[in-house]
Amino acid sequence: MTRPSVLVCDDEPNLRELIRVSLGPGWAVHEASDGEEALTLARSLEPDLVVLDLMMPRLNGLEVLSKLKADPGLERTRVLVVTAQPASEAEAREHGADGVIVKPFAPEELAELAATLVTRT
Amino acid sequence: MSLAAAAVAVALVTLFALLLVAILSYRDASTTARHAQQAIASANQLETLALDLETGLRGFIITNNESSLKPWNDAHAAYPGQMRELLRLASDNPRQEQRALKIKRSIDAYLRDFSVPLVAFMHRNPALARQVVRGGTGLHRLDAVRVRFDQFITGERKLADVRNSRARRTGRIAIVLGGVSLALAVLLIVLLTAYLARRVARPIRLAADAAGRLADGDLSSRVDERGVAEVGALQRAFNSMAASLERGRRALEEQNRKLRESERVKSELVSSVSHELRTPLASILGFSDLMLQRDLDPADRRRYLELVRTEADRLAALLNDLLDLQRIEETGVQLTREELDLSKLLEAQVVLYSAQSDRHSLALESDEGCLVRADRDRLAQVIGNLVSNAIKYSPDGGVVHIEARCSGSRVRVTVRDEGMGIPTAQQRQIFTKFFRGDAGRRLGIGGTGLGLALARDIVEAHGGRIGFESGEGQGSTFWFDLPLAAAGEPRGVGLSDSRRSGGGS
Repeated sequence: MTRPSVLVCDDEPNLRELIRVSLGPGWAVHEASDGEEALTLARSLEPDLVVLDLMMPRLNGLEVLSKLKADPGLERTRVLVVTAQPASEAEAREHGADGVIVKPFAPEELAELAATLVTRT
Repeated sequence: MSLAAAAVAVALVTLFALLLVAILSYRDASTTARHAQQAIASANQLETLALDLETGLRGFIITNNESSLKPWNDAHAAYPGQMRELLRLASDNPRQEQRALKIKRSIDAYLRDFSVPLVAFMHRNPALARQVVRGGTGLHRLDAVRVRFDQFITGERKLADVRNSRARRTGRIAIVLGGVSLALAVLLIVLLTAYLARRVARPIRLAADAAGRLADGDLSSRVDERGVAEVGALQRAFNSMAASLERGRRALEEQNRKLRESERVKSELVSSVSHELRTPLASILGFSDLMLQRDLDPADRRRYLELVRTEADRLAALLNDLLDLQRIEETGVQLTREELDLSKLLEAQVVLYSAQSDRHSLALESDEGCLVRADRDRLAQVIGNLVSNAIKYSPDGGVVHIEARCSGSRVRVTVRDEGMGIPTAQQRQIFTKFFRGDAGRRLGIGGTGLGLALARDIVEAHGGRIGFESGEGQGSTFWFDLPLAAAGEPRGVGLSDSRRSGGGS
């Protein structure tokens, strides 16, 4: 059985590393550092999961989220939103986020949430 | 307005004066007419009297009866009084008076020369007397008297006619003039009323309408100020009141807008700070959790510890910058000024930052003796910020050129790097608090996004300016100007015109 694939989108390299390590070796991890790159990679990779930071340069996280959700090719891709602002959780869900996690987060919490989202399908 | 009222008054006075003249003139005419009638009646009576004298005389002589002399005696007795009455009535006109006197003279002569002598003669020689009477001398003499009476009466009638027609003419003129001034007065009153309605009533109604609009909140409501006298004063007072209200409201709205703006800035700041704090905190907590919960090999453990340390440093720096910025914005930049040689300060900073990177070389070119009056620590903070930015944003290494040039009354410090530059789209925000370029975040270049905001506050507090030129992939050149300490040596106008006032922003 192949590992599930995940695209980690965050402009902070340290956070990308934290997310990658938190998810553990069970995932095939790809990384994007801004909104446009995230959209391009998601469309070409069609990953099982996208972990998306809301505060990103070029194209902000909510726009990326809307575009991912509107893309018919990405119907089975789950999106987990990471935000530094608890207030934006509702907004993210309205835009179609499958899960929301607020910074700072515990690594195990992130790993469990990611696993739940992917196995639910 | 008072002129029109005066005109109406004059017209009315003229009207009454003319009516008075007409009435007086008519009264005068009727008095004259009555007078003429009296004079004519008196003349007629006198003429009858004269006839009575003649007929009485003839009766006496023909009948020779003493008793038939009574009419003559009565007439002779009444004559002087009647004559005096006529003379009195004729005394107002010299010609009539003359005529009356002629009548008197001829009657007197008739009595003296004929009638009285004949009565006396009758007692002595009645036959001869009868003969004289039959000869008609008396009638003849009396005819002359009657002619004089006719002249008198005609004269009196003419006089009355003249006065009458004059009275009628005066009356006609008075009626015409009276009619004209009455019409004039009516016209003036109508005009005055129209004038009052137009110049007083209408402006006041408009002012009342404007006041109504003002009360309903339309503070731009104004009235035309061209009204006369007190109306104009009212209009000007209204406009000045409305303008004052409008100014007051505008000031309040402006104040309100500023308050809302400052509320918005504050809430954005809180949101930014929250984000800027949570991001390093997420790394610190996340990596420490990993180290506590998982079995890691020593290399990974060390790497994660280093990341924790880096992010903790970032948090500490962020906190320092925040506090610094907060202090500056609350109290302004507090400067402890002293006279500094800028080239020496630059040398010290170059030494400090040269040690931080092996891949960069720092090149300093400085004019000698650029003296400024400045706060040493604050100025070092600005230079350090620009130099460390130049190093951070040229990750491939390279030369950082630092220059200080005195020109006129200013000195310009320039820091030029060969790094990645700033894309045009982001240049406008470069001095905004917490703003960090895309590249900085993507490449994991540390920073709080507060350094340049602080640098600008500090430079402006010194009476200087800060700016930059840059293009993506073409490096960046940051510069700031300061006024030179030697103000007694104005070699040129330089940039002093564009100096901004200092103080916290």
